[in-house]
Amino acid sequence: MPDITFVKPALPRSGALVLLLAEGAALAGLAKAAEEATGGAVSRGLEAAKFKGTKGQSCTLWAPSAGLAKIVAIGLGKADALDAQGAENAGGSAQVAVQQEREAVIAADGLTPTLAASVAMGARLRSYRFDRYRTTEKEEDKPKLERIAIASAEATKAKAAFAPMQAIADGVFLTRDLVSEPPNVLTPTEMAERCKALEKLGVEVDIIGPREMKRLGFGALLGVAQGSAQEPRMVTMKWMGAPKGKKQKPLAFIGKGVTFDTGGISIKPAGGMEDMKWDMAGAGTVIGLMAALAGRKAKADVIGMVGLVENMPSATAQRPGDVVKSYSGQTVEIINTDAEGRLVLADVMWYCQEKYDPRFMVDLATLTGAIIIALGHERAGLFSNDDTLATHVKEAGSAVGEKAWRMPLGDAYDKQIKSDIADMKNVGGRPGGSITAAQFIQRFVNGKPWAHLDIAGTAWSSKDAPTVPKGATAYGVRMLDRMVADHYEG
Amino acid sequence: MVKLILQRSTEALRRHKARGADSALILPVRLGSVPEDVALAAAMKAARFTAKAGEVLAVPGAHGFTILAGIGGGEAISDWEAGGGAGLAAAAGRAHSVLLADAATPEQAAGLAAGALLNAWRFNALRDASKDKDTPPAQVTLAVAAPTKVEPAWVRAEAMLRGVLYARDLVAEPGNRLNPASFAERLRGLRDFGLKVEVLEGKRLTALGMGALCAVGGGAEHGPRLVVLRWPGKLKAAPVAFVGKGVCFDTGGISIKPAAGMEEMRGDMAGAAAAAGAMLALALRQSPAPAVAVLALAENAIGAASYRPGDILRTHSGKTIEVLDTDAEGRLILADALAYTARRFRPRAMIDLATLTGSIITALGHLRAGVFGNDEALTAALMAAGEGVAEPLWPMPIDDEHREILKSDIADLRQCALAGSGAWGGRFLSDACHAAAFLREFVEGTSWAHLDIAGVEAREEAAPLGPKGPSGFGVRLLDRLVAMRFERDA
Repeated sequence: MPDITFVKPALPRSGALVLLLAEGAALAGLAKAAEEATGGAVSRGLEAAKFKGTKGQSCTLWAPSAGLAKIVAIGLGKADALDAQGAENAGGSAQVAVQQEREAVIAADGLTPTLAASVAMGARLRSYRFDRYRTTEKEEDKPKLERIAIASAEATKAKAAFAPMQAIADGVFLTRDLVSEPPNVLTPTEMAERCKALEKLGVEVDIIGPREMKRLGFGALLGVAQGSAQEPRMVTMKWMGAPKGKKQKPLAFIGKGVTFDTGGISIKPAGGMEDMKWDMAGAGTVIGLMAALAGRKAKADVIGMVGLVENMPSATAQRPGDVVKSYSGQTVEIINTDAEGRLVLADVMWYCQEKYDPRFMVDLATLTGAIIIALGHERAGLFSNDDTLATHVKEAGSAVGEKAWRMPLGDAYDKQIKSDIADMKNVGGRPGGSITAAQFIQRFVNGKPWAHLDIAGTAWSSKDAPTVPKGATAYGVRMLDRMVADHYEG
Repeated sequence: MVKLILQRSTEALRRHKARGADSALILPVRLGSVPEDVALAAAMKAARFTAKAGEVLAVPGAHGFTILAGIGGGEAISDWEAGGGAGLAAAAGRAHSVLLADAATPEQAAGLAAGALLNAWRFNALRDASKDKDTPPAQVTLAVAAPTKVEPAWVRAEAMLRGVLYARDLVAEPGNRLNPASFAERLRGLRDFGLKVEVLEGKRLTALGMGALCAVGGGAEHGPRLVVLRWPGKLKAAPVAFVGKGVCFDTGGISIKPAAGMEEMRGDMAGAAAAAGAMLALALRQSPAPAVAVLALAENAIGAASYRPGDILRTHSGKTIEVLDTDAEGRLILADALAYTARRFRPRAMIDLATLTGSIITALGHLRAGVFGNDEALTAALMAAGEGVAEPLWPMPIDDEHREILKSDIADLRQCALAGSGAWGGRFLSDACHAAAFLREFVEGTSWAHLDIAGVEAREEAAPLGPKGPSGFGVRLLDRLVAMRFERDA
């Protein structure tokens, strides 16, 4: 991962130079300096490449003289329409364009210090790689980039603006690491262990295992875990950042952490089952979010809780037909052992409310295939019993490019999970499958404002996006960090 | 249709008494109110009757056969409809019934009666129903204080009612009786109500370049038809347009459907039926709004002349389509119908209705239809109209990814995503969104909304507003939309 620094604008003598050019704008600042130093090669090259500066356009000028290996021009679109997301996307594209050089300067001298910081954020986010398990990768295939210098007329200000972003990027990377890890490495125990890394950021981390869960009566979560040789864990992460005298009830974020989901006795088809290593992405997102909030010292009291289990078929596995008693006291008839995430959330959420009496709860879970059939991969499904909270989540997501789409809830849907033998059953059939899953979770919401994000379609991406390389997206970390920043701090 | 008799309440009650056990008296009861009659009040208390909308209590006794019908708070007309419908269902087996609405407003009284008659609909043309236990009363009397004051409200409600029942009758018809030819013939009968009816078929369709409609309908004995229904209205404005999918029977074609459940595919013309029903309602109540319906009728049969996966079709718009799945035929015939409607009529707004995808059932279940579109104001108006008439919608997105997946190597666009290209082993595709993105390519800039009514076109079980089977979903919604939005000058 390259280091990112902020420097005063000056032409580099080697490596790569990235020019960020708005549509129709004349060359100015560093771009103009480069034009002069190369004897007009920049404008000649851009003209030959029909480069107009439209959003997402890019063009590489090789060996333009002045010692540079290359100059990369990246289009920003219309200058007055440039926002943080546009700047981040340009930074991400810049990162990809120069990753085979050791050093690069990105000329952000035409941008405000905040937008220059966003360029840096985009480059940082796109630089993520998960290569822990590659041992034979050829040297020429590895990125070489060691240092990115963001050239800004107000470098100090830009650097200050980048500091909290960097903490957020660290949180995003932590989530991407967790989601990328294979399931034989990232077991519930190991995942809980990794949460402890947050202690050095000032987060209080508390872990409980099956004995304590049994004592508490976590029948729903334990039913899922009982088929696996791996013990379950529940991790509570507390960040108490609200200033003294401004204390309110804490905010709560809860994540589903099924470290591998075979489906259990209701086993999944073989095709694509490897994807089920990321069935812990909800929990991974909550952990990354807590790291981001603590890393930037958010002025809010926040509880993050994750329920970590592995769902396996075995001699001791839970069966369809079983009835389990949840921590709330409500009983659940298991119809399909592959609808396990809601069972884990049920106990963790009820415990969260009893113990911490939060101001609201937001849960994240790769919960249903149905949400992919409903919405695809650009948006997560958002379900909520509280319009204000739902709006806060949705708007924060739009601001950082993590989009959500509100889905309905209602008594008529709730009827689909009525059971003949228990208080409810754990699936409501194919029609409205993600809605009935949300209705199930809502039965474990005890009068609190609550929002549920079904991230099954957005946690993992099969193609690159400007600031998100393919693979684990960490969808939700930036959204919820932004929501806390916009509405619940200070 | 069961006939409604509008009568002064004193007279109606006298006749009710004279008929003894052959007549049922249906009394609407508001939440928290208690009937003056001591025996009824006592029965209500003993049975813990709370008067929720649609709750009923039969009280056989001194006053003949009385049915208490809950109407909830009674503020919404839909509460009166639910009470009338559930009340009439409880009167099954009796020859007569009297709905007592002497204390209601004309609109409430009309709602009570409309609910009853929606409930009383049956499709018994093809069976001996004489031994049915749930046969509704053949005679329904609406007993009011002043019949002449209720008359205008009833005329409006009856127009809606007849439109709904017209649509239900069409949807109920089996595929061997209702083919594109006989469907078009029945639609010609709408001339009796002042609608202009044009039927385009054979060479006319070829000459118009309707390559998609001709391909889908080409494998059947009875070829495809495009039926245009026009209501002139009184306003000097462009018409509002309804476009309906009318696949009289859908085998799936070469991409044939599994055998189980295929009989339900006789209802795959419910969109066209709803559009026709709405036109009938507008004509019956002499709506001032000019309106047009364009119905694409075809049978998706399997045969030597069927179209194939891999075929490229040239549509009326000129755009070419690569066929991947002959069972995604609805969007193909709509493509031609939408472009034709947009070009010929330049409508103020264009709303298509189609039993289009299984994906929308997974997304929203059987409780709401999905609405997609390119005009937020139109979508909002449709949502509001639907809430008012118990035909609820939920907005769904069309995102960039949904359009991108339709890119074709050989034609202007693909008809759907490649099978098996979805997440988790290919199983999860957001086909409803893909279909909407596909249709959007053919609306030619018209203000447009698409209602995916798969899942709501038929009821899975009896409800106050109708028995199990065809619901007529969409007729009331469109009728209300026109009343709300298109009966004033543009």
